Amino acid sequence: MIDPSTLREARALIEAQGLRFETNIDDLVGLYENGQMIGCGARKGYVLKMLVIVPDHQGTGALGELVTRLILSGMAAGHETLFIYTAPQNASSFQALNFRLLVTQGPVALLEHGPGIEAYFNAHSSDITPGQNGAIVVNGNPFTWGHLHLVETAARQVDHLFLFVVREDLSAFPFDVRYRLAQEATAHLENLTVLDTSRYAVSAGTFPSYFLKHMDRVALAQMSLDIRLFAQRVAPRFHISSRFVGEEPLCPTTAAYNRVMSEVLQEHAIRWVMVPRLPAGGSAISATRVRTALIQNDFKTLETLVPPSTLAFLQSSAAQPIADHLRAQMSGDRS
Amino acid sequence: MKIQRKASSGTMQSSDLMVVVEPSETLQIEIESTVKKQFEHLIRAQITTTLEHLGVQTGRIQISDRGALDYAIAARIETAIKRSSEE
Repeated sequence: MIDPSTLREARALIEAQGLRFETNIDDLVGLYENGQMIGCGARKGYVLKMLVIVPDHQGTGALGELVTRLILSGMAAGHETLFIYTAPQNASSFQALNFRLLVTQGPVALLEHGPGIEAYFNAHSSDITPGQNGAIVVNGNPFTWGHLHLVETAARQVDHLFLFVVREDLSAFPFDVRYRLAQEATAHLENLTVLDTSRYAVSAGTFPSYFLKHMDRVALAQMSLDIRLFAQRVAPRFHISSRFVGEEPLCPTTAAYNRVMSEVLQEHAIRWVMVPRLPAGGSAISATRVRTALIQNDFKTLETLVPPSTLAFLQSSAAQPIADHLRAQMSGDRS
Repeated sequence: MKIQRKASSGTMQSSDLMVVVEPSETLQIEIESTVKKQFEHLIRAQITTTLEHLGVQTGRIQISDRGALDYAIAARIETAIKRSSEE
């Protein structure tokens, strides 16, 4: 718990610097001199936020002090790698603290501290094969015939296909289930590797509004940053020259994401391929429809939407808590 | 000495370094430094010497250095190891 008077002090400091104060944080650190707060910073998960040093204390080592505390706080919470968003002109202050620049997009620079993206690449170095490779990023919440159709179509067009499953655990189906179902459904494809995105695609760090499903200027900027990170850092390492997406008639966030993606990838000479949806029972297959059918215990419909591996999971007792949670969410939405 | 649990020492202030140690079956030394290009080999040598002196053979040692001098590196490593091996 952060005590209210500290919160008030921090809020005044942050707003005085023209930043927006966010209350959804895990930790808040204040820096004091003679009882006066001269700087503060917050952490939400692995993202550092709202770092402020009052102007007359800048360049005094105050930032180093703040960042030390926040790194220790992150580490205690199990986060070895920490992200920070800042203005590009401030990036060098963080680079001097061993943060590394991941990507810059308009008025925002994203940097990280810790093992980070290099450790992610090293962990997957044995999966990397040269050639004209392709990539798909899916949440797979859960994995459907539609996903499989997209994956099979893409696999035929490339030397090797990397299927990235969104690592972030903010969906109805937990990551380990989504990852396993993606692996099981695609096990027959020899030129395919299933990988986790870590934090480097569609994560709460790179694209938080994906999980909120709202659409505004901020969401569009986040999408653009997320895709730039993929195009500039991830794609070159995995020799990815094509990215495949499913056509998106239902979800406005994903549809907008696809639009931004086609523009940004073109800038980076990465081929962008949209694969039309597979229709089932008169309308397109989507994970949303799967979740609705699951809520209604409608296994006849589920059979037409998901491959046997996913169906087996949905029929198992392990899927019960997920179905119950979805039901509770739905009745919550109605009330 | 043996690294028993995760522990840290130091700061991100200029001329200092932050050390995080944790148990591992092998010895892994990961160095991040503002002067990595010029001095990584010397930093690594200083860490190795200090670990040998303390009798540490395995563990993961992560450091984030801002141009610390040899004795600061030795002191921060020793502190982190002692913290991680306390009963």
